[in-house]
Amino acid sequence: MTAEMNAAKRKRQQALVAYSFIAPNFIGFAIFTLGPIILAMIMAFMEWDGNNPWKFVGFGNFQNIFTDDRFLAALKNTAVYAVFTVPLTLIMALALAILLNQKIKGRNFFRTITFFPYVASLVAVAAVWNMLFTPAKGGIVNQILINVFHMKAMKWAAAPATVMLTIIMFSIWKNMGYYMVIYLAGLQGINQELYEAASLDGANGWKKFLYVTWPQLKPTTFFVVIMLTINCFKVYDIVYMLAGGSNGVVNKSAIVLVYYIYEEAFRNWKLGTASAASMVLFVIVLVITLIQFRGEKNYAND
Amino acid sequence: MNSSISRNQKIGRFFLYLLLIILAAIMLVPFIWMVTASLKPNKDIFVIPYQWVGFTPRWQNYVDIWIKIPLAIFTKNTVKLTLIVTFLELLTSSFAAYAFAKLHFKGRDALFLAYVATIAIPWQSYMVPQFLFMRKIGLADTHLAIIILQAFTAFGVFMMRQFYEGIPDSLCEAARIDGMNEYQIYAKIMLPLSKPALSTLTIFTFVNTWNDFLGPLIYLTSEKKKTLQIGLKMFISQYSAEYGLIMAASVLSLIPVLIVFLSLQKYFVAGIASTGVKG
Amino acid sequence: MKKRIISSVMAATMVASLAACGSSSSQSTTAAATEAAKAETTAAAAAETTAAATEAAAGGDEAVTLKWALWDKDATVYYQPLIDAYTKEHPNVSIEMVDLGSTDYSTVLGTQLSGSGSDFDVVTIKDVPGYMTLVNKGVLEPLDDRIAADGIDLSQYKGITDQVKISDKLYELPFRSDFWVLYYNKDVFDKAGVDYPTNDMTWEQYDELARKITDTTAGSEVYGAHYHTWRSTVMLDGILDGKATAVDGNYDFAKPYYDMVIKQQDDGVCMDYATLKTQGLHYSDAFAQGNIGMMNMGTWFLSTLIAKIKSGEYTDCTNWGIVKYPHAEGVEPGSTLATITCLALPTSAPHKDAAWDFIKFVTGEEGATVMAGTGNIPAMSNDKIVSSIASMDGFPADDTTSKDALVTTHTYLEMPANDKSAEIETVLNEQHDLIMTESEDVDTGIKNMNEGVQAILQK
Repeated sequence: MTAEMNAAKRKRQQALVAYSFIAPNFIGFAIFTLGPIILAMIMAFMEWDGNNPWKFVGFGNFQNIFTDDRFLAALKNTAVYAVFTVPLTLIMALALAILLNQKIKGRNFFRTITFFPYVASLVAVAAVWNMLFTPAKGGIVNQILINVFHMKAMKWAAAPATVMLTIIMFSIWKNMGYYMVIYLAGLQGINQELYEAASLDGANGWKKFLYVTWPQLKPTTFFVVIMLTINCFKVYDIVYMLAGGSNGVVNKSAIVLVYYIYEEAFRNWKLGTASAASMVLFVIVLVITLIQFRGEKNYAND
Repeated sequence: MNSSISRNQKIGRFFLYLLLIILAAIMLVPFIWMVTASLKPNKDIFVIPYQWVGFTPRWQNYVDIWIKIPLAIFTKNTVKLTLIVTFLELLTSSFAAYAFAKLHFKGRDALFLAYVATIAIPWQSYMVPQFLFMRKIGLADTHLAIIILQAFTAFGVFMMRQFYEGIPDSLCEAARIDGMNEYQIYAKIMLPLSKPALSTLTIFTFVNTWNDFLGPLIYLTSEKKKTLQIGLKMFISQYSAEYGLIMAASVLSLIPVLIVFLSLQKYFVAGIASTGVKG
Repeated sequence: MKKRIISSVMAATMVASLAACGSSSSQSTTAAATEAAKAETTAAAAAETTAAATEAAAGGDEAVTLKWALWDKDATVYYQPLIDAYTKEHPNVSIEMVDLGSTDYSTVLGTQLSGSGSDFDVVTIKDVPGYMTLVNKGVLEPLDDRIAADGIDLSQYKGITDQVKISDKLYELPFRSDFWVLYYNKDVFDKAGVDYPTNDMTWEQYDELARKITDTTAGSEVYGAHYHTWRSTVMLDGILDGKATAVDGNYDFAKPYYDMVIKQQDDGVCMDYATLKTQGLHYSDAFAQGNIGMMNMGTWFLSTLIAKIKSGEYTDCTNWGIVKYPHAEGVEPGSTLATITCLALPTSAPHKDAAWDFIKFVTGEEGATVMAGTGNIPAMSNDKIVSSIASMDGFPADDTTSKDALVTTHTYLEMPANDKSAEIETVLNEQHDLIMTESEDVDTGIKNMNEGVQAILQK
């Protein structure tokens, strides 16, 4: 009886301690971010221009966006973008992290440089990219296509057929350094004894990766996959920069969800429609996250 | 046999460095572009073929940026905001993450999922209600608004929690048996073990706050409160765009970011965690 | 350990105090930010009290501070002179400029004017879609009663104000008006031995002239014409006969112009749109390269061009001139496109009467004189003002060709006011892009414009 009570008391106490850990972040987060987010969720069922009173429209906003060509195009483009960018960026980032985790001369130098395209100004990175992948026949990449592969020059970001390809390649190049840093931190957490044990068992480099590095990096990979997915679904500025070019015209072949949301919210001031589109994005990412979350739980139970 | 291994190793090393150098070249091009563009008059920057060398450097750009806009004030504001935000973010995130990773309480997973899921909602969709709320409580045009918006993010909690997951629970259990309370475990065991993760979060938060544009743009309207990134955009006016000046200011604004990155490199060294496990 | 605890306690206090500032921003004294905020709040409160007094006294001598929302505060030459001229006559009024940035001006202004807490007295309106969204949101005050009460003669704006009336109500008054002309580089013409363009050219003559001076030799190309990537540079050449506008839903008028420019692009007469778009070359820098013969652009480029030549940055286009926009067969020369910059009065303005008085001044004759004095074209233009601009230092001193080019007969807004302006613009811009990158042919593009816009208009 007393033992049970004690256990219950301990549990309550532990919960209180846990809440005290979470509180400083959660209170700020709840008031200033979660509150407005919940408002936005309600707004998805309203018509609002930012000033006049809200008007309840039920699922009207959702009906509108799912019959809007631009929204459907945005949904498709974003999905295509995420499907290619997430795995490719992950592989590149992990490979870079393992490469730059070795004992090599100038390690810090190389690590810093890999992070560069992420921190350098987007204008600069996009300008360099557009110089390489210019639609002009004289561009470097087009010259290689023509002379080495005997193909026709491509218009890259300026043509509907190639614009997403261009954006995907650009995004991997720009962001892999960012995820590399996360993996690099994850690699530091791996117990070196595991490698020593694997060596004694006669494991080679690949086996060590497969049986030590990869399983040990699971929590990091979980984080990277979720963040990559979320960031891919929220891609906005690189699309505007590459596809919008000097006149800022992003057409259906390149429009992405957040660009659509931005357009609806701040060009047309249809905040309800913008919120509805955000909810669609939210649900997609939530489903992906839940699947991942379940995977992580299974791993933890193993 | 020994010598053949070392020869193979040598060849391996050679290709490794070759790969690294090619990689470095690809990654460095934008930076070289920034530096060269920052030394050109505006009209020569977007001209193809781009002149990488052999032009007369225009150092005046680096003087003009301080004269044409109050860059010193903007820099001061950005430094202040970035330091406060980074400090708060590190503290509150690592604190909350400990509970999510190592403590058990009701609704833990649901709350955590809610945290993570909100990252997915684009700011653009709740920016207006958030702004109206902040203005109502008197925070429009204050630095405090930016601090509040940036310092309590779900991102930091998520990241720290994932790194804590990698630290064996047995370590905490042992400490509990030794009579440490949770706060002590957090401070004495978790924090020292998570230096690489804290460094990563520092870098990311620093970079994000340093480069944040839309938040300060919406909230900070009086000139003496504006930040560096708003300042950079001031060189793009309605009828002209001074990219030479933008690049000059961008090159300078990269320096603090690189200093932070380089100075935290020493924590990216394997073995810290493993010694911890042994102890 | 101890250190850590101390630091976390300190941090906790800090968080607490920061939070405290949030709830009572006028009392706390912790962070520098809040101190500044406090000063601001007090000032605003003080201003508000005096404002109430002023309004009661109907333009008395009480001190008033007007907040004016604008962009490019330091890069724009006329804001300060306008303010100086006004405050000289009204010493009790001071005007505070609030720079919301040029690139995202409409987004920021729209957000600031949402709800009812904004303290802007006067807002500048950048373009028609931006104006429309603010009117739709109901945050701008209709000006008709004030215009009638003060007997302002709208005919001095030459019909421009009629194009921005919404259900017969006017919510803004223009103070700056730019129109499109044809810039040309005399050196390019001299080198080719071809006569300069004139103030009376048809589009056919213009096309012929562009082709005459073009040189497609690789490495030393000369482009007869240059079109910036905006839709206006090509499509809107078709509205200058006054028969159609950009919001009608039928764009067949644009076909001859797209045909002409696409052909020029294929023949190397002008730069390739796709390259220009991705490369991000600004039109002023393109013209500065010295290998462009003619470029259609707005009069806003005049002051940039003059200033950059004076400062020595532009060395290859110092010998330039302007002529009137080319015209379709049978249309009077001097018909051209226009964009206006306006002032409006937010419904939430704390000092409406004082703000209106300032708007009246800037958009009226006194403001126009100040504008012309800085080399910019006021919305209210007359012979005196044209002469004043043409006599600006650095303006081409040829015969009177360049000066005559500043006289317009009909001006058409690039985008007339329409409920759906913003959405229509999205459709048109997309099709313009597809036509110009030659992803689709001109006929398909125009068909898509017609169908897309009609669908929006019928919604």
